[in-house]
Amino acid sequence: MKDLPMPNTPDTPSWILNLENIEKDFVFHHQQGTRMTVFNGFSHRFYPRKAAILSGPSGSGKSTLLRMIYGTYKTESGHIWITHQGRQVDIAGASPALIYALRRDTIGYVSQFLRVVPRVSALDTVIEPLLARGVPQNEAADAGRALLERLHIPSTMWHLSATTFSGGEQQRINLARGFIAPYPILLLDEPTASLDLKNRETVIQLITEALNNNTCVIGVFHDPSDHRSFADQVIDLSTQPCQETLPS
Amino acid sequence: MTPVADLNPPPLLKVAHLCKFFGRHMGCHDISFEVCPGEVIGVVGESGSGKSTLLNCIAGRIRPSNGSVWFRTPDGMEDLCRCDEARMRRIIRTRTGYVTQHASQGLKMHISAGGNIGEKLMAAGTRHYGKIREAALMWLDKVEIDPGRIDDLPSTFSGGMQQRLQIAANLVTAPEILLMDEPTSGLDVSVQARLIDVLRKLVFSLNLSMILVTHDLAVARLLCHRLYVMKQGEIVESGLSDQILDDPRKPYTQLLVSSVLKP
Repeated sequence: MKDLPMPNTPDTPSWILNLENIEKDFVFHHQQGTRMTVFNGFSHRFYPRKAAILSGPSGSGKSTLLRMIYGTYKTESGHIWITHQGRQVDIAGASPALIYALRRDTIGYVSQFLRVVPRVSALDTVIEPLLARGVPQNEAADAGRALLERLHIPSTMWHLSATTFSGGEQQRINLARGFIAPYPILLLDEPTASLDLKNRETVIQLITEALNNNTCVIGVFHDPSDHRSFADQVIDLSTQPCQETLPS
Repeated sequence: MTPVADLNPPPLLKVAHLCKFFGRHMGCHDISFEVCPGEVIGVVGESGSGKSTLLNCIAGRIRPSNGSVWFRTPDGMEDLCRCDEARMRRIIRTRTGYVTQHASQGLKMHISAGGNIGEKLMAAGTRHYGKIREAALMWLDKVEIDPGRIDDLPSTFSGGMQQRLQIAANLVTAPEILLMDEPTSGLDVSVQARLIDVLRKLVFSLNLSMILVTHDLAVARLLCHRLYVMKQGEIVESGLSDQILDDPRKPYTQLLVSSVLKP
């Protein structure tokens, strides 16, 4: 790490995301103060147009890492540098206003489960990220309908709230919401877990298109066959310091 | 919710070192925070933790024992605690709206729905009857109340409708910050969902700021960008809603979050 350029130096680094010695502990105050260390000085760089896959057994910190990058989990120490609109900012310790801006423009995140808002239609759920960027309603709705069609959600369901949808349908609404607006960094937490083959193929296509559009994809996939076609790197979190391998 | 916020927007409201004592009992102690345009702030904690006292200090309903409540006005930042009574009332009337838990406290039950909305406009100086009625009809529609019920008394409305009417009556004068004390408690879940939906739309379309006092963490997650957790009159933890609910750090916050069924 010593010989690499520091953030904010004149020579622009080509990385989009730079994790520097990050540490993460969970302390459970009501369970005898148990402390669980998930990261202890982890460093890694991520680049545009590349897909990095996080691997390791359950509990090795794959989802934790995604949530730290998204700013949901606070980082104990270390830095998470993100290139945001041409400058390097650290999401660990960023102001709320900066995190809102990062989530609106720079980092997309598809979680394992959709947090459904009652009464909001599936289409409105999907296009919210576009509206937040100021895209006109009708333009956003057109894009939303096209994406829902690609993900095989029947048009009769677009105006219903996703509350009553099946797990697989909710997952696809969640994916549509994640892919509707282009992001320089896209975090995917088991996006294909409850999908059938046809929809898995669509998701892989969407990921490939995002990569071609300069997005850096960081993902957790349950089934290695899902990421084999586009993965550039597999990061094994079960062995710290982590081993990097090319996908088999 | 994704707020439409600038990177470093000037705050609309700035609370600094606010304290309130009731005799020897501490209502709230050393509270400081800021609210930016379009931001929805949740104040959570159990009953008696000082949430409502804090809200009432901001709303000018209680005089703080110490500290400042700065509002952004056309004349710059003005401190409620350092200006005279008339000035304070004016700031509160033009900058804020206040939605109570019980609609009967926030509405006049013996005058019509339209009258409740119109009254605020008249207090703000509007005199043209046609314009007042037009505004009332528009606001009923915005909060999803059938405009045909404009001449009905609020007492004939359901609980959820009364709450939405209260919101309309508060927003008609275009305040920048809506202060709300447990607006969803006491409502059925389906009615609650509608209220939340209406509020989300208003926040988005008007770039409205809100301070929401609630003990319902699920409501807080759906509506608020940031949360402040209060215990015994003090803020014990604060952060983005997802940080507080998914990665609570302080013992009290962990207890609060783990005690709810699926927040």
